[in-house]
Amino acid sequence: MISGNSTEPGGPALRIENLDKYYGTFHALRRVNLAVERGERIVVCGPSGSGKSTMIRCINRLEQHNGGRIAVLGTELNDDVGNIDEIRREVGMVFQHFNLFPHMTVLENCMLSPMIVRKQPRAQAEATARRYLEKVRIPEQAMKYPGQLSGGQQQRVAIARALCMQPQIMLFDEPTSALDPEMVSEVLDVMVTLASEGMTMICVTHEMGFARRVADRVIFMDSGEIVEEAPPETFFTTPRNERTRQFLSQVLDH
Amino acid sequence: MEMVVVAPPAPGRLEDLRRRFFATPLQAVLSLACLTIMVFLAWKLLNWAVFSAVFTTSGGPEACQAAAGACWSVIAARWRIIFFGLYPYEEQWRSALACVVVVVMTVLSCIPVFWTGRRIALVWGAGTALFYVLMKGGVLGLAHVGEEAWGGLALTLFIFVTTCLVGFPLAICLALLRRSELPWISRTTGLIIDGVRSLPLISILFTFAVVLPFALPQWLQGDKLYRVILGSALFFSAYQAEIVRGGMQGVPTGQEEAAMALGMRYWQRIGRILLPQAMRNALPATINQFVISFKETSLVIIVGFFEILASGNAAYGTGEWRFAYVEVYAFIAFIYFVFVFSLSRYGAFLERRMSISER
Ligand SMILES: Nc1ncnc2c1ncn2[C@@H]1O[C@H](COP(=O)(O)OP(=O)(O)OP(=O)(O)O)[C@@H](O)[C@H]1O
Ligand SMILES: [Mg+2]
Repeated sequence: MISGNSTEPGGPALRIENLDKYYGTFHALRRVNLAVERGERIVVCGPSGSGKSTMIRCINRLEQHNGGRIAVLGTELNDDVGNIDEIRREVGMVFQHFNLFPHMTVLENCMLSPMIVRKQPRAQAEATARRYLEKVRIPEQAMKYPGQLSGGQQQRVAIARALCMQPQIMLFDEPTSALDPEMVSEVLDVMVTLASEGMTMICVTHEMGFARRVADRVIFMDSGEIVEEAPPETFFTTPRNERTRQFLSQVLDH
Repeated sequence: MEMVVVAPPAPGRLEDLRRRFFATPLQAVLSLACLTIMVFLAWKLLNWAVFSAVFTTSGGPEACQAAAGACWSVIAARWRIIFFGLYPYEEQWRSALACVVVVVMTVLSCIPVFWTGRRIALVWGAGTALFYVLMKGGVLGLAHVGEEAWGGLALTLFIFVTTCLVGFPLAICLALLRRSELPWISRTTGLIIDGVRSLPLISILFTFAVVLPFALPQWLQGDKLYRVILGSALFFSAYQAEIVRGGMQGVPTGQEEAAMALGMRYWQRIGRILLPQAMRNALPATINQFVISFKETSLVIIVGFFEILASGNAAYGTGEWRFAYVEVYAFIAFIYFVFVFSLSRYGAFLERRMSISER
């Protein structure tokens, strides 16, 4: 185990080398390479089925990769359960469909993992949970059940829940694409705040405005490959690849 | 400008009745005919059960037989056999107390305050131990009473409670094994579940009670009662495992993924996320399964146990009360009804409670 490295401030947040992933015989990721520094904000985009979800789900082992290496905060992601546990504690994830626990209140959703995974005392977990609910601007909903909230509110709870574990990296998989248009901005605002506070973020999203505003780098994927990788100004104004240009004209036009 | 919406006035009770049952002349005639039949039947039943019935034992069986109505004296004369079977007469207070223990234990574990692992375990551990000591004796100055002498309601309750106590955790284990990612584990478990479900309960009970002693060494056999309970728990768990599995399938995969992403280990995900939601989904079918296995306890008759139904047979079967079997069975049916009805009301309460929290 290289666990000692994870608290080391200098190392890269994430290093992916020659990553391969197969679903049966289908080659979903083809030799993907990506390095993310601490505090960097990455936006990943690309057409449907291009492997964006697959890639970020490999980072916390929701999917198991078949080739190449992944190192998160200096810890190698392999079959070692201790490493997997350690990485999952340090990496938060927000899903397209929120995935809140419907049988618990909002507050319990936020307190559960800090209490049973990080072994925090109840009072501390509750204080943290209330602080983050405040931060995502829904402190008054703490005692409600997820089913009683709007989509935008649920997604903000999901962000708060992930933050309560005090992760060093946050993964977002299309956090706004299941939302009604009028709720998109309330979630994006929270993400912008998070980015401005220096959180390391990897966001799969089609919100190009968000990418322009906060991304340090935009990554374009197609058919399981990273096709283009550039800072937002370059990416949106002078994309090098033909597929990127096609994709951008589709996304930006409509 | 403010709009005022006025709801149409709700129809009165009488108006509602008229619309439902007397809308057309034909409907009116049919409604009246049904009403007449129902009143007639209700009167007959009431007359038999109450007005012409005999309640005291003073006249003995003869006076009873002469009466036009029900002969409840048989219950008054024989209730001890129905409730306690062949349990020694002077010790029957212990059997009664044991029944109370089971009822209290069940009621306690139905109260949400007791729904933490430790409290439930405490209630059931202490309750079962108390029941066992009371029934079996041999300590604390209580005379020893062997399992072969247990009977009546106490035995029915004991078999039911222990069947659930052993069968329920077993069912959860089977359901979890069945969804294992390793094919040889899930297939084998599936085979066991389907195998047990394809056998009639009677044959399982018979095997465990009668055939097993030939196959097992002496020290492994245990009392026949416990082998029978084991058999019925196995049967219960096979059905309940499928119910639990169905409940698990109703939990979206995103739930477990979210739990994984939050760093929870396998048992934490199962215990905190998957099972609570799966059990909610499975609740109606689970209550149903409890009701079924409560009634199926009567099958232990065939391997020679005097549970409540068999004790009922004994209660009227001794000559003088032979004519009063309807009353005895009605009484036993009433006892079954009390238990099954409370179980299903409790299920309804749980469903209501959960629908409030999930909305
Ligand atoms: N569990 C799976 N089994 C088989 N194939 C899968 C599985 N999950 C994803 N795939 C395939 O892998 C490819 C990449 O899927 P992925 O979900 O990563 O795409 P995506 O870029 O996130 O698309 P979207 O924008 O629609 O979310 C797709 O072709 C998909 O059909
Ligand atoms: Mg996706």
